Amino acid sequence: MPKRPLIITISAGVVAIAIGIVLSYVIHWFPVAASTQAKNTDDFYHVLVIASIPIFVLVVAVILYSVWQFRMRQGEELKDGPPIHGNTRLEVIWTAIPSALVIALVSYSFVVLHENEEKPAGREIHVAVTGQQFYWDYKYPTPVTGGAPLRSYDLYLPKGESVVFDMHSKDVIHAFWIPAFRLQEDVVPGITTHYRVTPDRLGTYPIVCNLLCGVGHSLMRSTVHVVTPAQFEAWIQSQSKVPSAVATG
Amino acid sequence: MAARLRAPGFYRATMAAVLGVAFSAAITWIVRVSTGHATFTHYLSGDAITTVSLIACPLFFLVGLGAFDYWFYWAAGRPTRAEDHSSHGARSWKDYFRVNTDHKVIGVQYVVTSFFFLLVGGLIAMLMRAELAQPGAKFVDANTFNGLFSVHASILIFFFIIPVFAGLANFVLPLMIGAPDMAFPRLNALSFWMLPLGGIIMLLSFLAPGGAFADGWTAYTPLSTTAPIGQNFFSIGVQFAGASSVATALNFLVTIITMRAPGMSFFRMPLFVWANFSTSLLVVIATPFIAASQFFVLLERALGFNFFDSDKGGNVLMYQHIFWFYSHPAVYIMILPGFGIISEIIAVKARKPIFGYRMMAFSLLAIVLLGFTVWAHHMFTSGMPAWVRIPMAITTVIIAVPTGIKVFSWLATLWRGVLHLDTPMLFALGFITTFTLGGISGIMLAMIPFDIHVTATYFIVAHIHYVLFGGSLMTIFAGVYYWFPKMTGRMYDERLGRLHFWTTFVFFNLTFAPMHVLGLQGMPRRVATYASQFADLNLFISIASWLLGLSTLVFVYNIVTSWRGGPRAVANPWRAMTLEWQVSSPPPIFNFDRVPTVVGGPYEYGVPGAVHGIFAPAPQPAEVRTGAAGNVPVPSGGE
Amino acid sequence: MEAASIAHPVAHGDHGHEGEHHGPPAAHRSSRVDPQMLGMLLFIISEVMIFGAFFTAYFFIRVAQGDPWPATGTKLPVAVAGVNTLILVSSSFTLHWAESAIKKGNRFGLKAGMLTTFLLGCTFLFIQINEYANIGFAPQDAAQQTIFYSLTGLHGAHVTIGLILLLIVTIRAFRGHFSPEEHRGVEVPGIYWHFVDIMWIVVYTTVYVI
Ligand code: HEA
Ligand code: HEA
Ligand code: CUA
Ligand SMILES: [Cu+2]
Repeated sequence: MPKRPLIITISAGVVAIAIGIVLSYVIHWFPVAASTQAKNTDDFYHVLVIASIPIFVLVVAVILYSVWQFRMRQGEELKDGPPIHGNTRLEVIWTAIPSALVIALVSYSFVVLHENEEKPAGREIHVAVTGQQFYWDYKYPTPVTGGAPLRSYDLYLPKGESVVFDMHSKDVIHAFWIPAFRLQEDVVPGITTHYRVTPDRLGTYPIVCNLLCGVGHSLMRSTVHVVTPAQFEAWIQSQSKVPSAVATG
Repeated sequence: MAARLRAPGFYRATMAAVLGVAFSAAITWIVRVSTGHATFTHYLSGDAITTVSLIACPLFFLVGLGAFDYWFYWAAGRPTRAEDHSSHGARSWKDYFRVNTDHKVIGVQYVVTSFFFLLVGGLIAMLMRAELAQPGAKFVDANTFNGLFSVHASILIFFFIIPVFAGLANFVLPLMIGAPDMAFPRLNALSFWMLPLGGIIMLLSFLAPGGAFADGWTAYTPLSTTAPIGQNFFSIGVQFAGASSVATALNFLVTIITMRAPGMSFFRMPLFVWANFSTSLLVVIATPFIAASQFFVLLERALGFNFFDSDKGGNVLMYQHIFWFYSHPAVYIMILPGFGIISEIIAVKARKPIFGYRMMAFSLLAIVLLGFTVWAHHMFTSGMPAWVRIPMAITTVIIAVPTGIKVFSWLATLWRGVLHLDTPMLFALGFITTFTLGGISGIMLAMIPFDIHVTATYFIVAHIHYVLFGGSLMTIFAGVYYWFPKMTGRMYDERLGRLHFWTTFVFFNLTFAPMHVLGLQGMPRRVATYASQFADLNLFISIASWLLGLSTLVFVYNIVTSWRGGPRAVANPWRAMTLEWQVSSPPPIFNFDRVPTVVGGPYEYGVPGAVHGIFAPAPQPAEVRTGAAGNVPVPSGGE
Repeated sequence: MEAASIAHPVAHGDHGHEGEHHGPPAAHRSSRVDPQMLGMLLFIISEVMIFGAFFTAYFFIRVAQGDPWPATGTKLPVAVAGVNTLILVSSSFTLHWAESAIKKGNRFGLKAGMLTTFLLGCTFLFIQINEYANIGFAPQDAAQQTIFYSLTGLHGAHVTIGLILLLIVTIRAFRGHFSPEEHRGVEVPGIYWHFVDIMWIVVYTTVYVI
């Protein structure tokens, strides 16, 4: 078997891998990251991509090389290939390496998962989220307001403080997804579900209902405002004054 | 006319179906009158009659068609007439439109029917893409759109991918193992005829008041239990598809176990047979779960049971567990036969023995086992106990290993072979590329923190299509081209075949690759309208998808014209070793005049003088001897 | 569509004709197990899975969710159902009697055995329906009642299927079918009936006893 084509293919493959990895950093895949969890997830995503590219390139390279080198030439119509039935060594290799790779990746994913879900030091506030066809509303309990619980159609969160959403649904299943936080969980009738997030970037981000809940599903949207703790307190106070406790803005 | 109505056939069937409606009306009326129960406010309810008719009419129709005649005859204990094979084989096109017990006829019936459903499901996809071409409601309202993708998915999964594989196997498998027919020919016919009925039920749901079922092919409760009547069309249509595939799977298993030719040990079976063996195991064990899940939904909708109503102690997540305990194995039901097809084609077209035959067989079984242990990877964000995610993620990623073994073995089979790069081979190679991509995105989805972001986004839609279109459908195209000469006795047009491959391959990737990005950027699935930031990519995708649709028309044109006027095919155009190629194209009405004897492995290409099967006494694999044969009847489902 | 006819060109048509009169070659038997028996066993596997799914529902309501069982304020007629269990189990024995009778060529034993089995089955079903009528709660009440009716109802449906099979066998027995050599037609429905019995024992213990 000629050496040159092999060398060409291998180097082409290496170049392809390099380009792929570079691209994976150039393309901006995600919306802005506005929580500590989001940063972890994005880094993890890049690990996954970097692990995947070589596998894909390997498969494609072998196919292209075979097509290039082993395609049937004129006069080979009745020719057969060499009767190779297998090679235990190879088979062990391509069982062992993928196993090791996926186990490594999944273990790393558990590490990231744990980081994202464990309770950070410092104050942590709870916000009750209610989903129903087709809107969200939020309830700030006494420990947060310092007074009567506060109901609102807007979600304000203090930057840098850990928040736990306690979510329940009044009708069908919804999903409370904040792309900028890279986090979501289904909102299920009959049970209360939770997740924890630490917003770390000021701004206003969309909240998306991400589970088919009927005709209005694609319009079941809301927004989260990440503000400084001071602004947050101010907002709480202003809302508590409004008797109807229903803010718009 | 009266005679026509008495004889089995479409007249009698239509009449029976009409009777079915009357029967349903009567039944519901009687029940409602007799039980003055709170849930039954009126004595005659349109919904009730529709629901019962949906179950009764297809059954009546089948009786009318004659699918049960023999069994009635036999059950009544009348001295059953000796099998006269009158229902076997096709001599004119009419024979394809009646209850026929010839596995070759049934195979063709299956394939043609399910490709009809591909066109319908695809056409629906075209409409979806038209709606999604720009943000904001354009052509259809949200409810209709939800109906569109729900029917799109249900039709393509339950009435295209799963049955088309059953169809190909129906035609090829008995030939491959040297059997004259399937083990239970009448059951085989019955399982085919349930199929069009179920599919039509699902399509009819568009006419139901309140529109088609509109909560996705997953039909999560409580949305599905509170939806309008259209939902029943899904729940009942699925039952027919399920019954059909369980019956077929039974048939395959019994055929493979009890009817192999002498000398055909398990490890001399072609991998296509192995693949269908594994798939049938999955079907027999998993399918009852979706049947049950839809029984629950029906009971809750029709009779007010409380499986899922949390106010009355029901459990919402229970539905998802039961549904996915079927529907994850189902995704392997939709790919394992494809693996089998690819193994056949790669070996024949590379003129080499399949690399690592035994590992190929074992990896199939490994996937079957693992397939039952991963269902909750669809529920990482469902609100189930958090710890359940951990074992499920581990088992899920491990599936990459047996699948990898298959991919790498195919690649090793190519190595140093003599590649015949014709249409089936092109589709096989295209499959390996696209499926690897889809599989890798699947592995990424098994990574919980990542899945938590992208679940239920267009990233999932991309994964779905890379594995189902780039995976299953590519293998189906490959298989149809590969066995077309055997099934029809004609050659397809190679030039058009290649055109079809290249257009499909290119536009497939242009359509579905950008969906990964959409998902990561935060575009949810199952939405009729979306934020304007996603507009450009969606327009691009829509245009690509329409071209993809047109590429399918090339295929349709090629098949139809070649079937009618293509050049006649020789018995073994690919110089393949497996038994189906050792008989004429199309095969004789009873497959073999003498059951062949298997003397070697199925893929001994390049081994000097190797043969797989011989037709004693004349040991010429390539040609068949016709003439008198033993007069022992085919084993039948009856006695 | 007449394209389809090409699938069997004339050339093969008349050859096929010849083949048709002579029938196909005997399929080679590659396994000792009998096809009908194997088919029935596989079918029973998927039946078991159906019950499995219903028991999953039971598990989620009673165990995972920990709801009281039976629902507070309701009680299940354990004793009556117990008697009913005995009736069904005994029907398995009479069926076995019928089978062994025909194996010995004793036609009377076959007929008598099948008839009693069939009647015992009907009695079970009758008592079950009667239980529904007098149990004092409806499936619409709450999850536990739903599960109760679903599991017992699913089993009742299987008893009905089993009875239809038994009826067929009985009819054929009285019409003089079956012989010491050829009695598969009794055995195959037989295992189905035994399966129905065993399934009931599981349902009875899980739903009524524990
Ligand atoms: C034919 C159908 C098919 C197939 C074969 C697969 C195969 C796989 N799928 Fe997929 N899946 C679907 C159809 C399919 N899927 C559908 C329809 C849905 C959506 C359902 C819905 O919600 O509507 C879905 C959803 C889905 C989810 C849920 C996502 C979510 O809703 O949040 C997940 C998560 O784990 C997943 C994972 C996988 C994995 C790990 C595989 C693996 O089997 C893939 C294994 C293959 C490879 C990995 C490639 C080849 C291997 C190698 C080249 C070796 C080297 C590779 C590595 C070391 C990584 N799939
Ligand atoms: C085997 C399975 C299969 C196949 C083959 C396809 C094929 C296609 N699918 Fe489908 N799809 C699914 C299975 C499949 N899909 C599933 C399971 C879902 C999830 C549904 C859910 O969320 O519940 C889904 C969802 C889904 C969505 C997401 C809907 C949503 O979440 O909002 C979209 C959106 O673009 C889509 C598009 C397409 C397209 C463009 C094709 C194309 O490949 C179709 C190409 C083929 C044809 C077009 C047919 C032949 C052509 C003609 C009949 C001629 C007419 C054509 C013209 C006039 C141009 N599919
Ligand atoms: Cu709420 Cu979707
Ligand atoms: Cu899955």
